[in-house]
Amino acid sequence: MNRNSLRSLETAAAALLVLAASLSMASPAVADSSANNELRLGAYLVFYNASADDLSGPFVPPGVNLKVQDVQTLYAAYIRRLSPHFVMELAFGWPPLTKTEGKGPATLGSVPYNGVVISSARWVSPTLLLNYEFGEPNARLRPYIGLGVNYTTFIDRQSTAAGNAASGGPTRLSLSASVGPAATLGMSYRIAPNWHAYASFAYAQIESDLTANTAGEIRRTHVNFRPTSIILSVGYSF
Amino acid sequence: MRKLLWRCGAFAATLALAACGGTNSPTAAQSASTSRGTLVDNPPLRLASLDAPTLQADLGASAAGAQLLQLTGNPTCGVDFYYFKFWTVGGAGEPTESSGALMVPTGSPPACTGPRPVVLYAHGTQTNKAANIANIADPGNTEGALIAATFAAQGFIVVAPNYAGYDISTLGYHPYLNATQQSDEMIDALAAARTALPNTLSSATSDSGKLFITGYSQGGYVAMATERAMLAAGATVTAAAPMSGPYALEAFGDAMFFGHVDLGATVFAPLLTTSYQHEYGNIYTATTDIYSPTYANGIDTLLPSTTPLATIFAANLLPETALFDSATPTVTIPNDPVLSQELTAALAVPSDPTNPDTPLFDLGFGPSYLITNAYRVSYALDAAADPDGAVPTPSPGVPLAANPPQQTLRKAFYLNDMRYGGWAPSAPTLMCGGDQDPTVFFALNTGTMQAFWSATPAAPLISVLDVNATPSGPFAPIQQAFQQSQAAEFAYYESAAGGGYTAAQAQQLLVEGYHTAVAPFCSLAARSFFRSFFSQF
Repeated sequence: MNRNSLRSLETAAAALLVLAASLSMASPAVADSSANNELRLGAYLVFYNASADDLSGPFVPPGVNLKVQDVQTLYAAYIRRLSPHFVMELAFGWPPLTKTEGKGPATLGSVPYNGVVISSARWVSPTLLLNYEFGEPNARLRPYIGLGVNYTTFIDRQSTAAGNAASGGPTRLSLSASVGPAATLGMSYRIAPNWHAYASFAYAQIESDLTANTAGEIRRTHVNFRPTSIILSVGYSF
Repeated sequence: MRKLLWRCGAFAATLALAACGGTNSPTAAQSASTSRGTLVDNPPLRLASLDAPTLQADLGASAAGAQLLQLTGNPTCGVDFYYFKFWTVGGAGEPTESSGALMVPTGSPPACTGPRPVVLYAHGTQTNKAANIANIADPGNTEGALIAATFAAQGFIVVAPNYAGYDISTLGYHPYLNATQQSDEMIDALAAARTALPNTLSSATSDSGKLFITGYSQGGYVAMATERAMLAAGATVTAAAPMSGPYALEAFGDAMFFGHVDLGATVFAPLLTTSYQHEYGNIYTATTDIYSPTYANGIDTLLPSTTPLATIFAANLLPETALFDSATPTVTIPNDPVLSQELTAALAVPSDPTNPDTPLFDLGFGPSYLITNAYRVSYALDAAADPDGAVPTPSPGVPLAANPPQQTLRKAFYLNDMRYGGWAPSAPTLMCGGDQDPTVFFALNTGTMQAFWSATPAAPLISVLDVNATPSGPFAPIQQAFQQSQAAEFAYYESAAGGGYTAAQAQQLLVEGYHTAVAPFCSLAARSFFRSFFSQF
């Protein structure tokens, strides 16, 4: 992992925590102090909207690119209420197995490329958000907006058999970790005093340097992910 | 790795992510050994995988490629092109990394799968330091295309090193026509390729154990040196087909210094002196010992180069053809006026009107010349005192000089001459070439070797094909095809489309392209010769 990105993650997270702490101190205590915590579970529908530079490196023909397939995964979040209007949300999805397809020439030589699944990786992508909730604390519907920071790292990085065939042999993949801004926009619906349903839309900026090592030859690209997500969840506060 | 574990550990603690600590797909295993014949990355990189129709389409896309396919036939097999790196030795025995091509036939026809014979191929003189014979996508890689179409696409596994000093090699020079190094490197490339083969993406094709050795020009010489080395080591050589090689190096060198300058001499000279300087350390103390001050500076590191040869000529770092000074030397040997006169005449610009090669030889002389007269005389004196049996008129058995030469370059030629050591092939050997070759003289090299072995028990194993001779025997169709193609090319140069040259100009162009033109025809003969040693399927 990039040392600088780790440092900027720490800085951003610390800033958020300081802000959150100051908000909770500045605000009157929440009426129902027993319900300052909440756990949410739901569905995470991720649209990666990835764009990558063409692959560069030895023996790579022009126009070789890749496409990231969208995923659905389990959403989980821990919410800490800071004040009647502010909550801190630590959200993450069950690390989804994200598949990458070749994009570009139909074949490399005689090896199928365009549209073929060439690699996969699991995303570990927690997001820390500070959300502002509109309306009265006991309102049935409360829209909210949030801003925060996303950290993404990639595990279980696999070049598929088709990917190895396209790359020219067994391939080790590296993807640099990413720290970037995240935002959310959502609506809560109070089902019962401790139960809420949520529908939200989330956005994050994720960038990663992809390095593929095949028999010592290094091919690279830079991938910009601009994932938008639709999250449907249910929360229980306690 | 530890960092990754730590990172995952931290996540597991904070986010309770059970999935952490994942596995990543590996790349090729990399060997740490630098011993000879070690394959560096196993499996090596496949640069291209072309099925038979794609290979045919790719090759056929250029006019030259389409012509080549007419000769070789359309591909029966697909070909997987692997680029492998291996450890070998340099010209002074120093460990060095080199690279090469492993071409594996693929596809369902019986000729393309299962156990297949191996062709160990040595490429010709290459001035481009970055050349990579495995890179079939490079339009400049015509020799790679030639061997792919001739051998790999017809069911032969091909192994062809790029040679130390080229591509990824950090050697800093190329051990050009160094018989020991070049044969060692061929053997090391073969060992590494054999290690690689079962682990490739094309492992349905395997080594049948039949081994054929061939190569063209410099590679013809290297093929013969490799045949000698492998047979001496007791390794299997099913058959060999050295093509258009400078086998009789001492005789070739003598002819050159006596004025029979070949086409390409100004390129070969620095490659040779640099190579032998590294091998023996005694060729010169300064490059000015050999080379004119105009060119001496930096000539020891000039070739191979990533700068195109045309640019090197244009920058006057090398003369295009003038190997020697057109103001030829007068030799004065005290108390020997006869020899003095003979040598002076022998070193004069060739003027024999009865020799059709005289205009070619004369191109080797100019006022802006490469090799000094003083050096030329030192070589000629050694050659006169201790003559080679092949120069000027072949004597029976065409022996090397009776004693090891004293002049250091001539001694290097002597030690690297394929007659040195008095060996003879114990495997069937076909030497192919064209008798009008202006670059590697056919009679002086192929003819000398044939005559040298004619009185040995090896004689029945040796055959010679001159693609320019009157068609007869098993290779008559190839001879006919070559001669027809020469006639067609001549007619083309004379035609308006081909430039509307005069007959003399057309002939000159034909001569300039001759050495290269012979290659596909001899390769075809080699393939046909090799096929006689195994049942095809």
